[in-house]
Amino acid sequence: METSRDDVGIAIRSALLAKGTKQRFSLFVLVIVSTTLIFLESLEVKPLNYFRSFIKDIIYRGSQAVSVPSTSFNNFNNFIKSHLNLYDEHTELKKDYENLKNNVSKSDFLELENTQLRKLIDEQASSTFNFISARIMLDKQSMYLNSFIINVGSNKGIKNGMAVLHGENFIGRIVDVNFFSSRVLLISDLNSKIPVITEPSAYHAILSGHGGKEPTLEYLPENYNIEDGEKVYTSGKEGIFSPGIPIGEVKIEDGIINVMLFSNLDQITFVNVKIEDFDNK
Amino acid sequence: MARSYNEIKFRIFEFFPLLLLLFISLNGSSVFDLKFFSINIHYILVYYWVLRQPDSLGYGFIFLAGIITDVVFGLPLGVNSLSLLIIAGVAAYVRVVTVRITLINDWISFIPALLIGNFIYFLALYFSNYQVDYLFLFKNSVFTLVFYPILWGIFSILLNFMKQ
Repeated sequence: METSRDDVGIAIRSALLAKGTKQRFSLFVLVIVSTTLIFLESLEVKPLNYFRSFIKDIIYRGSQAVSVPSTSFNNFNNFIKSHLNLYDEHTELKKDYENLKNNVSKSDFLELENTQLRKLIDEQASSTFNFISARIMLDKQSMYLNSFIINVGSNKGIKNGMAVLHGENFIGRIVDVNFFSSRVLLISDLNSKIPVITEPSAYHAILSGHGGKEPTLEYLPENYNIEDGEKVYTSGKEGIFSPGIPIGEVKIEDGIINVMLFSNLDQITFVNVKIEDFDNK
Repeated sequence: MARSYNEIKFRIFEFFPLLLLLFISLNGSSVFDLKFFSINIHYILVYYWVLRQPDSLGYGFIFLAGIITDVVFGLPLGVNSLSLLIIAGVAAYVRVVTVRITLINDWISFIPALLIGNFIYFLALYFSNYQVDYLFLFKNSVFTLVFYPILWGIFSILLNFMKQ
């Protein structure tokens, strides 16, 4: 009995501590280093942050270079697909054009009415933000993070928590800033929770990502009455994002209130980061 | 002449697992993910080569590959390194205690490696305040295990070719 226990001990020691002929590090030492790194990750110390940013920037560039063949292949694939769908797309666009033409007069009237009402309440429409355009460097979806890397970082004044838009639509927020790159956490991610408001019903809710393409509305008030097609905007309630940034529209399926995003998250190349008066918030 | 040719061939193919490991880490394709199907290629690669040809895959490189994967996937630094090193540790232990090389032996011993590796992965993410998709983790573990013999076969062919 004792002998077999000794054997197990020797085998474990040999596996973990022995370096082998060509191994430079023992497994045990590297396990300790990895564990230490995980603990260090929770520490927000300036030199450590600089070091992390430096490492991440280098790895992002390396990853970008290595991903060139697969990115080119994906682009080519999309190019072929878009050509194959040309006829359907044309029909769809024709229909949209007709609808838009019908709506133009209505929208003109609403704009006029809006201007008059603004004058009436003497509102001073002022904008304290501007945008920084960025290109997506890397778009690698992981098990736990629906995110991508953009090519601007602290060098352009990007900060954690800033809203990221595709055109005028909200698609996510900055969660990690390096010198020359930043990570955008998409609204479809499991960790994304955004305070939103529905229109026209004006319910406040939380838009939660689940890893899929359509996030869901949660924490709605009791006895809510939401219908398909209602628009969803940021509510600005948490004080970080501006209110009224369009996100998507409601699509109810089996009692679950999904939100169909206005932007297709798989087809984004450029984004705008909303630089607001962030320090004062 | 023939001997030197074999040596050169061995040296070239010796780097294959290392290059593949670093490539899939940088390319972000360590987890092959389709709609109902997800395989962790990293785990199989590390387990197989540490078990069968440990000199081709240094622990230091496994650690580095883990760090790269963490950065590319946006996870806390060290999470993937730790789980890959745990997989490597189980493989090294199995190598010490087994004599015969069979697919069934490898496959069965891969189960505890996968369980421990994923458990460490889950723990590290849980304590880093990341939400964990349990269904995805389960699906990934099952398909990685099911897919193991296929990659085992491919790697074995390569290893035999190397050693000829």
